[in-house]
Amino acid sequence: MDREPEIQNKEPDSAPVEPRAKRDSLWKKAFRKFFRDKFGIASLVVVGIYFLIAVGVWLDVIGTNWSATTDASFAPPSSEHWFGTNINGQDIRDRALYGTRVAFEVGLVVALLATTIGGVLGCIAGYFNRTIIDEVIMWLYGCLDSIPFYLFVAAVAFVLQGNPYAMHIAMICTFWSSTCRIVRGEVIKIRNLEYVEAARAVGVKPLTIVFKHVFPNTLHILLVQATITFVGAIKSEVILSFLGLGVKNSVSWGIMLSEASSEVSGGIFYNFYTASIFLFILVIAFNIFADSLQDALDPKKVSV
Amino acid sequence: MSETTKPLLSVRELAIEFKTETGVARAVDHISFDLAEGETVGIVGESGCGKSVTALSILRLIPSPPGRIAHGQILFEGNDLASNSEREMRKIRGNQISMIFQEPMTALNPVYTIGSQLTDVLRLHKKLKQKEAREEAVHMLETVDIESPEKRLDEYPHQLSGGMRQRVMIAMALSCNPRLLIADEPTTALDVTVQAQVMEEINKLQKQFQMGVILITHDLGVIAESCQKVIVMYCGKIVEIAPTNELFRNPQHPYTKGLLHSIPRIRKEKIDRLPTIPGTVPDIQNLPKGCRFADRCPKASDQCHEQYPELTHQDTRSVACYHPG
Amino acid sequence: METLQYALRKFIYSIPLLFGVTLIAFTLMVYFGPDQTYQFLSKNPTPEEIERVRSELGYDQAFAVRYVQYLGDLATLNLGNSNSSGERVTQILVKHIPVSVALALPGFILSVVLGVSIALIAAFYRGTWVDKGIMVFAVVGMSISFLIVVIAFQIIFCSFYGLNWFPVQGWDVDSVGSYLSHVTVPTMAIVFVALGYNTRFYRAVIVEEMNRDYVRTARAFGASPVKLLFKHVLKNAMIPIITRVIITLPFIVIGGNIIIEKYFSIPGIGQVTLEAIISGDLPIVKAVVALTAVLYVFALILTDISYKMIDPRVSYK
Repeated sequence: MDREPEIQNKEPDSAPVEPRAKRDSLWKKAFRKFFRDKFGIASLVVVGIYFLIAVGVWLDVIGTNWSATTDASFAPPSSEHWFGTNINGQDIRDRALYGTRVAFEVGLVVALLATTIGGVLGCIAGYFNRTIIDEVIMWLYGCLDSIPFYLFVAAVAFVLQGNPYAMHIAMICTFWSSTCRIVRGEVIKIRNLEYVEAARAVGVKPLTIVFKHVFPNTLHILLVQATITFVGAIKSEVILSFLGLGVKNSVSWGIMLSEASSEVSGGIFYNFYTASIFLFILVIAFNIFADSLQDALDPKKVSV
Repeated sequence: MSETTKPLLSVRELAIEFKTETGVARAVDHISFDLAEGETVGIVGESGCGKSVTALSILRLIPSPPGRIAHGQILFEGNDLASNSEREMRKIRGNQISMIFQEPMTALNPVYTIGSQLTDVLRLHKKLKQKEAREEAVHMLETVDIESPEKRLDEYPHQLSGGMRQRVMIAMALSCNPRLLIADEPTTALDVTVQAQVMEEINKLQKQFQMGVILITHDLGVIAESCQKVIVMYCGKIVEIAPTNELFRNPQHPYTKGLLHSIPRIRKEKIDRLPTIPGTVPDIQNLPKGCRFADRCPKASDQCHEQYPELTHQDTRSVACYHPG
Repeated sequence: METLQYALRKFIYSIPLLFGVTLIAFTLMVYFGPDQTYQFLSKNPTPEEIERVRSELGYDQAFAVRYVQYLGDLATLNLGNSNSSGERVTQILVKHIPVSVALALPGFILSVVLGVSIALIAAFYRGTWVDKGIMVFAVVGMSISFLIVVIAFQIIFCSFYGLNWFPVQGWDVDSVGSYLSHVTVPTMAIVFVALGYNTRFYRAVIVEEMNRDYVRTARAFGASPVKLLFKHVLKNAMIPIITRVIITLPFIVIGGNIIIEKYFSIPGIGQVTLEAIISGDLPIVKAVVALTAVLYVFALILTDISYKMIDPRVSYK
């Protein structure tokens, strides 16, 4: 007891890096803490509703009418077309619903793959800190970070011309780097902990240590990073669609907003309102969810 | 020395609470003690017993929220610090009451020179001009036995050793002739040889400046050398107050005994292992009804488990135990 | 002198980065890129003509040889001419980069200054309703897509449905009056979008500094809250703040703000590059990529030097 922990630090401030036995209690604690957080739960409910919409579209239950053209162009909202129609007379409500599915596809694919890649490479780089492996991984994300994002996406889209996943691939290629950086930092801390040193001392193979002892202790970071990446992907999709680099042969909120950008000067706002509200509510719900998650999982975090 | 009828500092029924996720934790629970002018009092106890919180609360430095002074008075020269405004406290901090901290590595701002940080205090409280403040700072560094003080003033904290930094902290703390110095584990983070030097420095200056000192530590050795009086804390409560000699010679509270027994020392006969106090400290949010030490105490009776023993006073000593001695 | 040596050493260390960036770009754009042979040929070319153009474009060479040639061209600043307009690439850069900078810089500066100021206010009133209110606005702000902001601002400021104070398109790059009327709305949009993120980031940085031991020490010696914030907290917080600012600068010079440039039809380098990528105008892309990488490396060096200026513990070793 050479340094006295003050009572305000009684929080397990080393919790994220504690050995396995205590890790379960971290998750349980985080779970309990999260469910006391009103905003966290509300945001989770909102995200859940969006997810159900996306599932509904996948199952062809809702949003089925997104591409059919009715005769009236720019028809005002009615019982048939809740949010009106666009220039081609397509139903904006169904397009927005379909856009939810596209948003989840982009968000989930990019978030899942980018955080996995970032997590794995971050673990390896962190564990092999100060070796050539670490240098190479750092060099790789250093290079990617120094290329302007939209230009990179444009280049990838150009290379993969016609590939409907060009945008996804470009995002995955760039979004993994922030996760990698954070995980690497955490792993450098973890690898000096006693239980990792103990594993090393008894001769456990390095890669076994990395994936059995170190990786699980970064899962809380990956979870938070995944939600942040999800939001980033959805927001980037909007911009990329506007730049003509987004989803093809489909409809997304980004495409609706690009349509809107040429309509608003003519006083037609249906696309703008609908897509904006769909997009805004999902993004803010996800942002709040990410914050609550972070609060629940990381007692050290200083934020809202 | 002035008559000790009116103490320099008088803590009355002080209670400090922290809001935590799982409810309110009472880190310090209705404690009272006095400090005479020029007296050195040690507060000992294990980690989390509330001794540092007590020290911080005197200067009203408890982070708030989550902490707050829930009850009681902290009378300093008759003035209740607990009810002072923040503005009034700022005039007292570093001026009439100073504090030195445990970590000399992090307690000084790394991006400013020693001189800048020393003169800030002097200019603030003594209203000195920059040049005078600098001369005074040099003088203070000389007082704490730092060589070539002129040069040191322009150096940054990281250029100094741990012991030097702690000396700078002491110089800073004493620069406005405080009436009371609070030293929170001042030597814990230092090397053993440096520890002794720093304690010596504090003791020397305490006499020179005639100030009251509260020494927070878990090191009974430090207490034995420096303090006239000892306060033993356990789980937010004071369990024993006694003059140092008497406490070491004849501890009354079983916890104090346990503490004294667990000091490594040269003994006549060889022992297999150092005696320890069995059991663990109870959770501060889930305290037993009776004596907080009862579960670990060899003498505990039913009464101990039922009702908390209040601190009772006899002559110069106080103890909170049904079965003292 | 010491600084210069340090910068030079840093530059040498960052050569792998330069190689990496140019290699990625070269592989993407040139190796996987389109075969442009036929763009330079008349109809019904003879096999000899085809052969000649292919060798001019370097297609008959190995990948490594072509990459080394590209590096050689960069080192000698031989950037060539645009495929589509035939204009010299250096000329294009000189013409369009200032436009991008003029467009993006005011918004960038304002968003940093405002972001730090608001973050200081939030941190100062930490835990109170002022802080909470600011943080709610920050989360709302960062949840609104840039595109939505641009469209909304166009409706509000540049259309008959709103105030109609500013024009949308038609910035005359050479006129100051035109500059002000065309840059105001983009600047507001840029500030609006960046403010949420900036405020949160800077507040987190400042609050972290406020929890340091030396801040408690200063408080224990009677420093006032204002002094604590501006003397003890801010200088230490400058390191992450400056890093963020300097690292962003190259992207302003080179990327400009593509969305704004496209939306308001402003001929900035971002839009020029985007079009060059989409149309496969390689000389422009190659030059821009190289310039970005070099600027990025300079920014990295600059941040390191500014660390040293702020924090005496950082040494050039």
